[in-house]
Amino acid sequence: MQDRLKALAAQAKGELDLALSRDAVDQVRVKYLGKKGELSQIQAGMAKLAVEARKALGAASNAAKAELESLLQRAVVRVEEAQLEAELKGPKIDVTLPGRGSRFGHRHPVSQTLDDMCAVFAGLGFAIEEGPEIELDWFNFEALNLPVDHPARDMQDTFYLEPQTLPEAARAKPVVLRTHTSPVQIRTMLAQKPPIRAIMPGRVYRRDSDQTHTPMFHQIEGLMVDRQVSFAELKGTLAAFARAFFGPKAKTRFRPSFFPFTEPSAEVDVSCVFCGGKGCRVCKQTGWIEVLGSGMVHPNVFRHAGYDPSQVTGFAFGMGVERLTMLRHGIDDLRTMFENDYRFVSQF
Amino acid sequence: MKISLNWLKDYVELPPAEELASRLTMAGLEVEKIDRPGAALAGVVVAQILESTKHPNADKLSVTKVSVGGATPLQIVCGAKNYKVGDKVPLAMVGTLLPGAKEPIRQAPLRGVESSGMLCSARELGLSQEHEGLLILDAASELGAPVAKAVGLDDVVFELNVTPNRGDALSHLGVAREVATLLGSPLRVPSTPVAEGAKAASSQIAIRIDDRSRCLRYAARVIEGVTVRPSPRWMQERLSACGMRAINNLVDVTNYVMLEWGQPLHAFDLDHIGGAEIVVRTAKAGERLTTLDDKERVLEAEDLLICDAKSPLVLAGVMGGASSEVTGTTTRVLLECASFQPVTVRRSSKRHALKTESSHRFERGTDISLVPQVLDRAAVLIAELGGGTVLAGRVDVYPAPKVATEVTLEVAKVAQVLGVEVPQAECERILTALGFTRAAATGASSTWRVPFSRGDVSGPEDLIEEIARIRGYELIPEVLPRGQGEMGPERRRSSVGRRLRAAMAGQGLDEVVNYSFVAPAELDAFEAGAGAVAVANPLSVEQSVMRTTLFAGLVPNVARSARHQAAGVRFYELARTYRPNEAFGQGTTPVAVERLTLAGALWGAREGVTSWTAKDAKVDFYDARAAVEAVLSALHIEGATIEPKDSPWYHPRASAEVRHQGRVLGSLGELHPRAMKRLDAPAGIFLFELDVEALEAQAHLVAQATALSTFPPVLRDLALLVEQSMPADTVRALILEVGRPLVHDARVFDVYTGHQVGEGRKNLAFALTYRAGDRTLTDAEVVEAHQKIVLELTRRLKGELRG
Repeated sequence: MQDRLKALAAQAKGELDLALSRDAVDQVRVKYLGKKGELSQIQAGMAKLAVEARKALGAASNAAKAELESLLQRAVVRVEEAQLEAELKGPKIDVTLPGRGSRFGHRHPVSQTLDDMCAVFAGLGFAIEEGPEIELDWFNFEALNLPVDHPARDMQDTFYLEPQTLPEAARAKPVVLRTHTSPVQIRTMLAQKPPIRAIMPGRVYRRDSDQTHTPMFHQIEGLMVDRQVSFAELKGTLAAFARAFFGPKAKTRFRPSFFPFTEPSAEVDVSCVFCGGKGCRVCKQTGWIEVLGSGMVHPNVFRHAGYDPSQVTGFAFGMGVERLTMLRHGIDDLRTMFENDYRFVSQF
Repeated sequence: MKISLNWLKDYVELPPAEELASRLTMAGLEVEKIDRPGAALAGVVVAQILESTKHPNADKLSVTKVSVGGATPLQIVCGAKNYKVGDKVPLAMVGTLLPGAKEPIRQAPLRGVESSGMLCSARELGLSQEHEGLLILDAASELGAPVAKAVGLDDVVFELNVTPNRGDALSHLGVAREVATLLGSPLRVPSTPVAEGAKAASSQIAIRIDDRSRCLRYAARVIEGVTVRPSPRWMQERLSACGMRAINNLVDVTNYVMLEWGQPLHAFDLDHIGGAEIVVRTAKAGERLTTLDDKERVLEAEDLLICDAKSPLVLAGVMGGASSEVTGTTTRVLLECASFQPVTVRRSSKRHALKTESSHRFERGTDISLVPQVLDRAAVLIAELGGGTVLAGRVDVYPAPKVATEVTLEVAKVAQVLGVEVPQAECERILTALGFTRAAATGASSTWRVPFSRGDVSGPEDLIEEIARIRGYELIPEVLPRGQGEMGPERRRSSVGRRLRAAMAGQGLDEVVNYSFVAPAELDAFEAGAGAVAVANPLSVEQSVMRTTLFAGLVPNVARSARHQAAGVRFYELARTYRPNEAFGQGTTPVAVERLTLAGALWGAREGVTSWTAKDAKVDFYDARAAVEAVLSALHIEGATIEPKDSPWYHPRASAEVRHQGRVLGSLGELHPRAMKRLDAPAGIFLFELDVEALEAQAHLVAQATALSTFPPVLRDLALLVEQSMPADTVRALILEVGRPLVHDARVFDVYTGHQVGEGRKNLAFALTYRAGDRTLTDAEVVEAHQKIVLELTRRLKGELRG
């Protein structure tokens, strides 16, 4: 019996060396260690033996079992390793096929630009205010120091709304599609006490359509009102905006201009983002790109909004979003922005 | 406004053109364009013909010897015949590129005879269409000098963008005053002494102003014995540089003086004025006037007219009439110089769609105090250019002499508004140079009298602007605003907007931006045209009504993409819809209800293109629903329902409403086939529309955590055969109700229809999660609960358990 036990391990080892799979190893396990396996049979025969002999054989069979298990364990490791090796060297998938499903959506470049601009002003402490687009002439013009019959009204071609389609109470008054976001200044001041530090983004409308004008576009208005706000702060704010938006090298240039709702007024140019101010096709060789209008809030505007111009001063500015969007994204035809061609909108 | 620098330098010393342009621009008179009309003629000089002989080899050509002032004459071959020896003509030297020419003039033999340049016609120089021979120059032209100078084109012309507040800059003298102020140099105003005849003008004409609020001053002079002829070249050149056509000496003088002083004038043929009185009055309804442009205009009671005893002669401040126009035979001239109320002129000009140099200036305000001076200047020029005698005296009616506006400026205010100190002496120098006069001064403030030319100046802020712009805005420092005391939280609307866009991007939707106005047909397609706000003066019918649904833009966007070979598109727009606001009238309530809306349109290939993973899968209702669910999830709106609801927008087979806690949030569905036809859209467009205000109201922007259960769930599936029309949500609701409190969730994981389950039926498979918050569930508990659910479902829904 002892001899059989000894032979068992050698025999199993020989069989295990030939085993190439986990299954083959398991067959060997069943053959030797299974319920009806070789070892069980030997152990079953032990009952008939004398105590001494049984004890000796018992120890030997336990040793044989331990050796068998160790052999099996090593065989398992070997075949699994071999299988893994084979898998690692096996066929590959086509990693060049595109990813599955679920494309990411794109945002319209104008809304991206608007957001980025708002974020810059948020950093300067400007809150966001909104107001209606269908607006009384009073808010859009008169309260902004643009009385009826003022020649400056020619600066903005205006869409009027058909009185019969307006609420009864509004039919006697001229109602316009706001030509700028400036009426939100008035609404904000009527609703809040100073100090005010706000930007007012939104859609605006002018009756104009050609290569460089669309009848609808977007503006961001800015308003800061407090005791003793100065033109120097207007310059500082817009210069900071230009550096944050166009990059740290962006320079600003303030030129005197005229807007009825500000006095003094300034047009603001930014050094050309393409040539850095040396002059190129985009800036028409001037080195500057006109980006916004601004100025110190006119006392008449304060009066219309119920503020006392002897107590507060303020600055306001307004800028077109499309122009900045075009500069940033290299879009050369304004009109493509509102055609919404799927090939256009998926670019941004 | 075009400004000729040759002309401008009559009144003020000028720096080089580029420097001047930059100074003016930076002071608020923007130079939009610098035009050098003579630049195209570089290389063309004045030459004198010394001799001319027939060309030996060509009958039509001559060989000339010309001098350009040097010792040796040049030999030029020429084809023209209109000159004589001694004439001065333009010579394009070798190397010159003539206007419109492709190649420069070369030194080359012409039919065997060497030619060192080309003698030019007016057409070859681009000056006119005249090509009958050489341009014969003024005999006084300097030999060898640029021909541009000889023809008056050695000028630099600025195109000024004059803002509406600066009526004073619509003249050469006005711009000269600006230049003198900027450079600190003296201004030379032309003096206007008149040599008058003995006869008094008042013996020939009287003036009566009936409407004194609209006509503030009316003055006239009479010049007799005038000969109408072309005005001299210098005047024609200046008018032409400023973009005005020369007509005759009388008309040209009125235009010239207007361009000089900014004050419009009008010349009448006195013999064509009925009676001896000019009446300034408003029109009688229905009165007619034929203006100089030969149009008969029906006048309205608000139109101000200059009339004779019988009929209207001029639409005041806008345009003269044909009947009293000066003609070639005019000898007696009545010269008008007046001041009209700007609004009156503006209204007449707009009413008759007649914008003229005159109306442009009157609208912006003219200097009423200049009337006599300007009148004299024009009378002198007429007498000078047309002969004749200026009759003695002006007839000048000025019923209420205007009082100058006075503005008090506190010294401290300048520094406060600009953020920088400006020395008082500098403020005074600037204002004085601009024509302001100091009426009074104390230590802390001074009072300034505003010149009549500056009607735009009425308050201290206007004076501060004058000071700031003349000094230059670049001298004002850049300072960041002082810190503020408070910062509010982000507006809820901004936060919601950001989440909506993130949800849309996650669902693969591309953002579009459409015009807010659409074609009525686009609203009608959705039966959404009733009650829409319309634009009174649209650019086209396609942009004539304010949209009441964003689908009016989105569906055409999809249709357009389909026409452009898109395989599939997923679009969304976040914008307002508009409806009249019946609550208008209280406080600052807006005229319209402008409802911020999120809407989407999905069509075609699910992934935008046919892909190897999705094959040719097309979007359907559940893609639109997924977008809606993404929004609800992004805003943590839990327990919203999406249930069938008919709508004119959607196909009845797939039309649903989104509600939460009884509030309607929006809707979704498949585009209604009728709308599809009317908009020429492709089939299979799925839409959704959500009201952002309602979403915002129901949103939980800061989600609250629930503790994770420490007890394991038990998972069981349940499949049920039900009628095809049975909503899955009804089954699910019942499972949750019957399974309470152990069923934590029931999720549909399969829907099957087909012959195996029978006609008109479907199999719904749910994955149920059993869980208790306080213990591990026993098998027996779960089996009991599951059996109860099965029993109730089969009983109440007449369902049949499967598998």
